[in-house]
Amino acid sequence: MSLSLNRPRERPRRGGLLALNDANPLVPYLYLLPHGALFLAFIVFPILFGVYVSTHHYDPVATTQPFVGLEYYRQLFDRQSPQFDLFWLAMRNTALFVVLSVPLLVAYSLALALQLYRPVRGRAFFRAVFFLPGVLSWTVVGVLWRWLFDNQSGLVNAVLTGLGQDTIPFLTTEGLAWVPILAATVWASVGFNMTVYLAALSGISQSLYEAADLDGATSWAKFRYITWPLLSPTTLFVTVTTVLAAFGLFFQSVFITNAGPNRSTLSVIQYLVSEAFTNVQYSSAAAMSFVFAGVLLVFTAVQFRLMIRDIGGRR
Amino acid sequence: MAAPWVSAAPRTRAATRTRRRAHLTSSTLRFVLLLLQAIIFLAPVYWMIATSLKPEGDTVAQPIQWYPHSPTLENYARVLTSPDSPVVRWTLNSAFTSLAFTFGTVLTCSLAAYAIARLKFRGREAWFWFILSSMMVPGLTTLIPSFIMMLKLGWIDTYHALIWPSMGGAFGVFMLRQFFTGIPFELEEAARLDGANSLQVFRHVIVPLSKPALATLTVFTFLGAWNSVIWPLYVVHGDMATLPAGLASFQGIYATTYGTLMAGTTLTALPALVAYLFAQRYLEEGLTLTGLKE
Repeated sequence: MSLSLNRPRERPRRGGLLALNDANPLVPYLYLLPHGALFLAFIVFPILFGVYVSTHHYDPVATTQPFVGLEYYRQLFDRQSPQFDLFWLAMRNTALFVVLSVPLLVAYSLALALQLYRPVRGRAFFRAVFFLPGVLSWTVVGVLWRWLFDNQSGLVNAVLTGLGQDTIPFLTTEGLAWVPILAATVWASVGFNMTVYLAALSGISQSLYEAADLDGATSWAKFRYITWPLLSPTTLFVTVTTVLAAFGLFFQSVFITNAGPNRSTLSVIQYLVSEAFTNVQYSSAAAMSFVFAGVLLVFTAVQFRLMIRDIGGRR
Repeated sequence: MAAPWVSAAPRTRAATRTRRRAHLTSSTLRFVLLLLQAIIFLAPVYWMIATSLKPEGDTVAQPIQWYPHSPTLENYARVLTSPDSPVVRWTLNSAFTSLAFTFGTVLTCSLAAYAIARLKFRGREAWFWFILSSMMVPGLTTLIPSFIMMLKLGWIDTYHALIWPSMGGAFGVFMLRQFFTGIPFELEEAARLDGANSLQVFRHVIVPLSKPALATLTVFTFLGAWNSVIWPLYVVHGDMATLPAGLASFQGIYATTYGTLMAGTTLTALPALVAYLFAQRYLEEGLTLTGLKE
C-alpha cells in the first residue's frame, strides 16, 4: 500500500477513553460489542452450559442439580440402560440414511450440472426448476411427500396403478419406507449442490475441451480426464457438506413415516428431542447431543480445513 | 495447462458439418432429457396445488383425478378461518421475527466483520479465530442448553426466543470479513484524508461497495430463519407459532383431510417461493460466493 499524496496525514484529534473518535483505542471493540455479546451469551455459554447439564442430574425446577460425572455418557454405552437400544438404533438408521443419500445427491447434482452448464434452450428455467424446492421449509417438503406416497391415494401409487402395477405400501413397509424419504431429500436439496457444481464448471477453461476435441476425444474421455479431476475440490466440498446435512435427518422421517414402520426410520435428532422434550430428560439428551456431535466433528473438521484453505487464498 | 494430446491439425469442412449436426442432435436430446426431469421436479408442486383446489371428497377419489374437476377455494377458506390454525397470525409471526432476526444479524455481523477486517486492535486475530472455531461445533450441541435458557429467562412463547438465540452465529462475520478484506485500502485512504472517521468509512465506503455480499447474507439469513423448524417447534406454541411450525401441528389436526392439508402447505410454501423469485440472483450468487470457488 502506498500513498500517492505528499501532504502529511492529519493526526486524529486526541481525546480520553470516553471520546468517540479514532484516537480512542476502545473504538474497535465497540464495533465488536453487539455481535460479541450475542455470541458469548447464545453460542459460547450454551455450549459450556450443555457440558454442565450433561454431567449433572439436571432438573430445571429443582433447587439442587447433583453432579453425576459421566454417568449419562456411560448409559449410552451400557446395554442394560433404557436409552441404549433406541439410541443406537437411531444412530444406525441415520448412518444408513447418510450412506444411501450422499452418493445419490452428489452424483445427481453433478449430472444435472453437466446437463446445464453448456447453453441449452430454457437453461435459466431449468436451473430455477431444480433449485426451487430448496427454498421450501422441511415441513412443507415432509407433509407434501407424505401425501405423494400415501399408500392408497397418493400420486405415486396412482401412477403405478395407471401402469398396471399393484399399489406398494411404501410408508408401512420396512426398508421401502426409505424410498419416499430419499426421494424427498433429493428433490429438496439437489439444487443447492447443482449450483455449486455449475459455478465450478464455469471456471474450467473451454480451451481444454477444444484441445481435446481437436484430438477427437470422446465425451467420456473429456469428462474422465478434464472435468472430473478439475472438479475434485468441489466434489470434496459438496460431499462433506452433504454428509453433514444428511446427519441432520429429522423432518423427512418425522413427517413422512413418523419414524416408522417399527421405528426403522427413527433418526438420532428425533430420539434426542423426544428424550428432552417428551421424557423431560435434559441431561441424558444433552449427553446424546455431545456424543452425536463428536461423530459430526470428523466431517466438520474436514469442512473447516477447506474453509481455512479458502481464507488463506484470500489474504 | 496444456493437454498432452493437443495438436494443430486443421479441421476439414466435412468434419465440421458432421460435428455441427452431432451437436444439434445432442442438444435436442439434452433438452428433452432436461424437460423430463423438470416435469418430475414440478409434479409435486403441481399435485400440492391441484389437491388444495379439490373438494375434500375428490382428493381420494378412485380413479384418481389428474386435475381438479370442480375447483374450489373452500379448503383455503377453511384453513384461513379455522380457530385451531391461526395461519394469518403465524404468517405475521414468521415475517416479523425473520425480518428482525435478519436485520439484527446483518447489522451486528457487518459491524464486527468491519472491525476485524479493517481496524487495528489488540486481540483482533485471536478473536477472529475464536469465533471462527465456534463454527466447528455442530449447532445441535446448543439445542438443549439453549432451550433451558429460554425456560429460565421466561422466553418460551415470546418473540425473544425466535429472534435472539442464533443471532450470535459466526457465519455472517466470517463471510463479510472475507469480502471486506478484499476492498482496496486506497479507497479508504481517500476518505480518511477528507477527515472521515471509522464509522463514516464504514457507511460511505465499505457498505456501498459490499452490496452483493450484504444482499447475499440477507437473503440467506432470511430464508434460513423463515424455514427453520426444529427450534420454533419447541419454543413457541399456539398463537405464537411460526408458519412452518404451525404447519407441523396442522398435520396432526388435518392428517386425513388432504385438501385442507395441501391448502395449508401451499400457503406455507408461497412466501418462500415469492422470496425466491425476487432474490434468485443473490441466492445463486451467494452459493458461489460462500462455496468454494476453484
